[in-house]
Amino acid sequence: MAGLSITNITKRFGDTEVLKGVSLDIADGEFISLVGPSGCGKSTLLRIIAGLEDQSTGEIKLAGNDVSGVRAADRNLSMVFQSYALYPHLSVADNIAVPLRMRQQKALQRLPMIGRFVPGQRQIRHQITRDIRNAADMLEIAPLLERKPGQLSGGQRQRVALARALVRDPAAFLLDEPLSNLDAKLRVQTRVEIAQLHRKLGATFVYVTHDQVEAMTMSSRIAVMMGGRILQCAEPDTVYHDPEDIQVAEFIGSPKINILPVDQNATGALGLLGQALHLQVEQKCQSVRIGLRPEMLRLSGEQSLLTGTVEHLENLGAELFAQIAVPGLENRLVLRCDPSQRAAVRLGATVGLDFTPAQALLFDQDGTRIRRVHDTSRRPVSTAEVVQHGRT
Amino acid sequence: MGAPDITLQPLTKDTRPVPATVQERRAAWLLTAPALSLMVLILLLPVVVAAILSFTDYALGNDTFRWVGWKNYSHLFTRRTYEKMFLATFTYVVTVVPISVGLGLGAALLINSLGRFREIYKTIYFLPVMATLLAMSIAWEFMLHPSIGMINRTLELGCGTLFEAIPLIREGCADRFPVWLGDKRYAIWVISFIGIWQGFGFNMVLYLAGLTSVHRELYNAAEMDGAKSAWEQFRLVTWPALGPTTVFVVTISCIRAFQVFDTIEAFWPQGGGPNKSTYVMMFAIFEKGVQQNLIGIGSAITMLFLVFVMLLTIVQCWLVERKVHY
Ligand SMILES: Nc1ncnc2c1ncn2[C@@H]1O[C@H](COP(=O)(O)OP(=O)(O)OP(=O)(O)O)[C@@H](O)[C@H]1O
Ligand SMILES: [Mg+2]
Repeated sequence: MAGLSITNITKRFGDTEVLKGVSLDIADGEFISLVGPSGCGKSTLLRIIAGLEDQSTGEIKLAGNDVSGVRAADRNLSMVFQSYALYPHLSVADNIAVPLRMRQQKALQRLPMIGRFVPGQRQIRHQITRDIRNAADMLEIAPLLERKPGQLSGGQRQRVALARALVRDPAAFLLDEPLSNLDAKLRVQTRVEIAQLHRKLGATFVYVTHDQVEAMTMSSRIAVMMGGRILQCAEPDTVYHDPEDIQVAEFIGSPKINILPVDQNATGALGLLGQALHLQVEQKCQSVRIGLRPEMLRLSGEQSLLTGTVEHLENLGAELFAQIAVPGLENRLVLRCDPSQRAAVRLGATVGLDFTPAQALLFDQDGTRIRRVHDTSRRPVSTAEVVQHGRT
Repeated sequence: MGAPDITLQPLTKDTRPVPATVQERRAAWLLTAPALSLMVLILLLPVVVAAILSFTDYALGNDTFRWVGWKNYSHLFTRRTYEKMFLATFTYVVTVVPISVGLGLGAALLINSLGRFREIYKTIYFLPVMATLLAMSIAWEFMLHPSIGMINRTLELGCGTLFEAIPLIREGCADRFPVWLGDKRYAIWVISFIGIWQGFGFNMVLYLAGLTSVHRELYNAAEMDGAKSAWEQFRLVTWPALGPTTVFVVTISCIRAFQVFDTIEAFWPQGGGPNKSTYVMMFAIFEKGVQQNLIGIGSAITMLFLVFVMLLTIVQCWLVERKVHY
């Protein structure tokens, strides 16, 4: 068990810089999810932590010790590879046993025939068999133990790879998209298993995933990576409700956050499609955009901020997502509504949308979050201000 | 059903339905017939003819022959000459196969670990394979010459130095250096050495091809699992992945070793080496069947040769099926 501290890691492959200064502090026993679009360098970062790849610059500390010169086998980490990397000639049971045998038995004890007679072997062997059983039961691969990896489906292979990683008790677990090939039911189930295992072992987990639900439900913190940088690393709630960057806001959350351009007048007051939002931004920006999560929008009557027609409906049973085209806006807005509101959001219907401007997330032209926003709605609004907005 | 005769007539004229399977089967036989007959004619027929001839005393040019039953075969297992033949052949195979496979694997692993110069090394090691053994034999004959040959000249340099501790050099300095090709103690080993020298480059190339199929991430997995030494990684990843290649390489090496002929024919055109110590099967077939025109006994050796090769192939198939296919 150990904390992990990554400082200013860069990695270049020839001319391309894949990691551009990644820093991340992972406390002992934390569950960190690395999320980000394909090709942003998640696997590369994981491989550098594991010691399978050397960083170009930067430092990695494991339990306070610099491990830059330490080879992967000596870092005592366990890893699930994106491509499974199972030994094709070994049965499932033997695959799972490899890390145990390699680390618990000496070369002599591993010999096929003679090893049996080395003193103290019986106990170690029994323990290994038990460990394999436990791991196999947990991941529901017990009936497959005698098979070769070639005779397994993708999802089964993935579970074997997971079992091989989880069977040990390392300083930290590095998992590279370990559930990507499982079916929905098994994925939920395994997700719970891993979360429980994390609680039980109290070990450090670094978990790469594309699946936001996984990231949101399992992790203590989520690190959102993009283009070789970590844009934000915070608790799931914070990443969702209080993103630092427009890219983070857009990446996290499904359906995607609604981004709307807003105007800013000379005094810094904001307006949307000619209507005042009663928000004041201190700094002067070239352009300001606001982000509205689908659940921030609500249906309203006549006096709405936005009016549009329902163009598409996605009914998920427990909730309903409506895509609404608003004249003057490039993209359709996505609205989350309760199934009870179905009658109001028929296809083609004209609906009014409202939201609380103070909840909206504001971003400047670079996509950085604007934090210094004043809510001016509570003090009486002067007519002049509204008129001014009408003109901009 | 009268289906068979009508298949070639236009279907519209005949309303009786022709079962598709029968039609398909006939077409299939028709289409494979040329290949089948060629196969029988040029691959199987010679073997059958050789098998028949091995029971006769036929000689080329004779009008008639007599059936001699198993006499040719019983000669093979009773006469002293053939005992020497088996001894020479098996010594050669048992020496050349493991060493040339081992060296081929070693060279392939070394070359595979190189970044640069890979192609150069590959070419150098492959040179002996490309050169014809017959031409190379002449070069070797020069080198092995007892008095002016490079090898004995080099050994002479060791006289009077520490190298005299080696028995071969000590005896050589005291008396004279070996007559490599004329001494029955050395001849078969010299032939084996040349066989290895010539053959391992071929195995190396096969192994290099096999190595490209090893999944690179497996080495990473092995490293994470705690396989630290190169040997452990080799055992866990490389060697199992090379299983199918190894079976193939060993079989090919065995067959090639059984077929050794050129060097022996070049060094000792008459007789198969000093005291018949290098009288291998191929040479025996050549001597009996071609030089002495004893087709019957030549065919018998040929059949025996085929049996060996066939056994090897069966073992290979069995291994591939059972052990090395994942
Ligand atoms: N050995 C390499 N040589 C050159 N470029 C590489 C190498 N390995 C990775 N890259 C590049 O580095 C970038 C990041 O790769 P990486 O595998 O880390 O992405 P990822 O975030 O894991 O993506 P995914 O989610 O698709 O697995 C990619 O653009 C990839 O092309
Ligand atoms: Mg990846």
